[in-house]
Amino acid sequence: MKLWHSFVKELQLSSKSWYFYIEVGMAVVLLLILLLAVPEETDSRTDEYLYAGGLPSDYVDLIYKGLLDDEDEDSEYERVQIKTGGDLFGADLFVTDTRNIYFVDDREAVLRLAKEDKEVGIEIIPGRDGGLDYLYYLQGYESQKLKNLYMVLQNNKVNYKFVERHMDRQTVETIEKDPFVLNNRENIVPVFLTYNGSLMGLFIIAAYIFLDKKEGIAMAYAVTASKVWHYLMSKIGVMMVTTISTGLILVIPVMGARANYPLLLLLVVATAFAFSSLGLVVTTYYRDMMQSFGAFFIIIVAMILPNISYFAPSWEPSWIKYFPTYHILEGFKEAISIGGSAGYVVFVSIGFLAAGLILFLFANYRFKKTLTI
Amino acid sequence: MISVKNLYHSYSNDEKYAVKDVSFEITEGEVFGFLGPSGAGKSTTQGILTGLLQLQKGDVTVAGYDIKHIKNEMFNKIGMSFEQSNVYSKMTGKENLEFYRKLFDVKTREPQELLDLVGLGDKGDIKAGEYSKGMKHRLTFARSMINNPTLWFLDEPTTGLDPAIASEIKSIIKEKNKEGVTIFLTTHNMFIADELCDRVGFIVDGEIKLIDSPKNLKLLYGEKFVDVEYVDGKETKKESLSFMEKEDIGRLKEILDSYEIRTMHTKEATLEEIFIKVTGRELV
Repeated sequence: MKLWHSFVKELQLSSKSWYFYIEVGMAVVLLLILLLAVPEETDSRTDEYLYAGGLPSDYVDLIYKGLLDDEDEDSEYERVQIKTGGDLFGADLFVTDTRNIYFVDDREAVLRLAKEDKEVGIEIIPGRDGGLDYLYYLQGYESQKLKNLYMVLQNNKVNYKFVERHMDRQTVETIEKDPFVLNNRENIVPVFLTYNGSLMGLFIIAAYIFLDKKEGIAMAYAVTASKVWHYLMSKIGVMMVTTISTGLILVIPVMGARANYPLLLLLVVATAFAFSSLGLVVTTYYRDMMQSFGAFFIIIVAMILPNISYFAPSWEPSWIKYFPTYHILEGFKEAISIGGSAGYVVFVSIGFLAAGLILFLFANYRFKKTLTI
Repeated sequence: MISVKNLYHSYSNDEKYAVKDVSFEITEGEVFGFLGPSGAGKSTTQGILTGLLQLQKGDVTVAGYDIKHIKNEMFNKIGMSFEQSNVYSKMTGKENLEFYRKLFDVKTREPQELLDLVGLGDKGDIKAGEYSKGMKHRLTFARSMINNPTLWFLDEPTTGLDPAIASEIKSIIKEKNKEGVTIFLTTHNMFIADELCDRVGFIVDGEIKLIDSPKNLKLLYGEKFVDVEYVDGKETKKESLSFMEKEDIGRLKEILDSYEIRTMHTKEATLEEIFIKVTGRELV
């Protein structure tokens, strides 16, 4: 009962404090960013600018025909204007599934695009052997590997047919048939849930505790017949409510009814508990927020690292899986994906609940010694 | 009610003791004043007795509980009024008391009754953050009575209060003591200690120098003085003479016989003067 009274009181106090509104306000800002600034789908086509004016017109027609027959999405090219260096240049645009290929009318356009807009400019010139050579205008910082690749693919410095045959022999196996893929906007939701939700408890609970210590309220609580863990758990309860509120503000408008809300809430509660408990442990080693800032900064920076592998899956060293936020990100992703792995989310949630409990017990032990200092 | 034996405490966990070899006992229904200058060890001792600081060395029992293994139920019996007001500033006075009363397992007092008692009856619905310093102090004082404590720790209970309110607070303390409440009063205000305490303990540099009743201390260490103002020719002179010294008594007779007396007042030694005499330290 005392725990309940403490929790209700903390909830009332937090509703009157800035921290609560900062968190809710932040969730609203992030939601607006998601809805207004992040497109659901991004055009991932790369732009290529080519100049073929030095070739005989028969050659150019042949290239155009090849592109229209084999690659262009609607088998028609479009006449467009490109602005670079303050001037407009005419170009023929071919749109394939991976590239926007511009054949510019003027060689100057290719040079300016490379120099001023940092684009890759290519000039197609007649080769000595009667074929075609490709002259690349690069930025200068490209790696030798990329340059070699251009050599292989475009300038026939090795037997391209051999490379093609080798690539065709490779077996491609589909592991998951028709996997559900989050769109760009949805894919960002787990990141916001992790950093504005789960991890926020780390900071905010410390702020609440240090404020109580500063105002002497912690001492007043310590001379009541209530237990220290009631005091700590009531704070964590507030963190959970805040995290659930801000999480739902973010998820409902973006995901609608598609997310698995029971799983999502389970993971939100488990991670908020674990990180709030970690925040409690940290506060027992410092006197105020200023002193503890360094420790929190290191923790936050470390927790951000898995973000890199989340957005760039090709970079996923095995050690990154030791960071808890890696599993939180993946867990949230599963929880909001249709057909996501419920088993994984439950497993991760149990892990965080267990870790949170250990941290909480340790924090309680430490607070018995330090709450009133 | 309180038993302290060979109490030591060091904040740096070394031989630099803030409190060293402190021993005393307080019986039920007694008002015990713990007196000393700032940094003498008063708050440290009180912190240990109330469980706010961990017991490092020594034997301490409070209200029948061994402080080595504090049980939460002990706090049902004790009340603590802090020197620094520590109330929830975003809650009203009444909400503060309503919340704290729920943290005890014993019958508690009505918040409005307590607010009335300390002169905040009509301010109960105002946020504590909007209270003056004195009002916050009174709210902190009122809160310490919420659980009807049988042992009451008071840390500078009248500091920062205007004389009229301070007088009311003293009356409440006297009234509670009449009801049988044991009071541990920490202060550097000797006048309050003199007025309220059955016994006082002088603590300096972490050590108790003396424990006795104010009356006995005055008998043992106090001197009675007479301040006499007289006219010597065209000049008005003033002298302070002891009733205990033969030389001073002779001088007083001489003044009475030879000069025109303007004013004459007898003066009893104050507890503060005795403290200085015993400890050699000022109460700063």
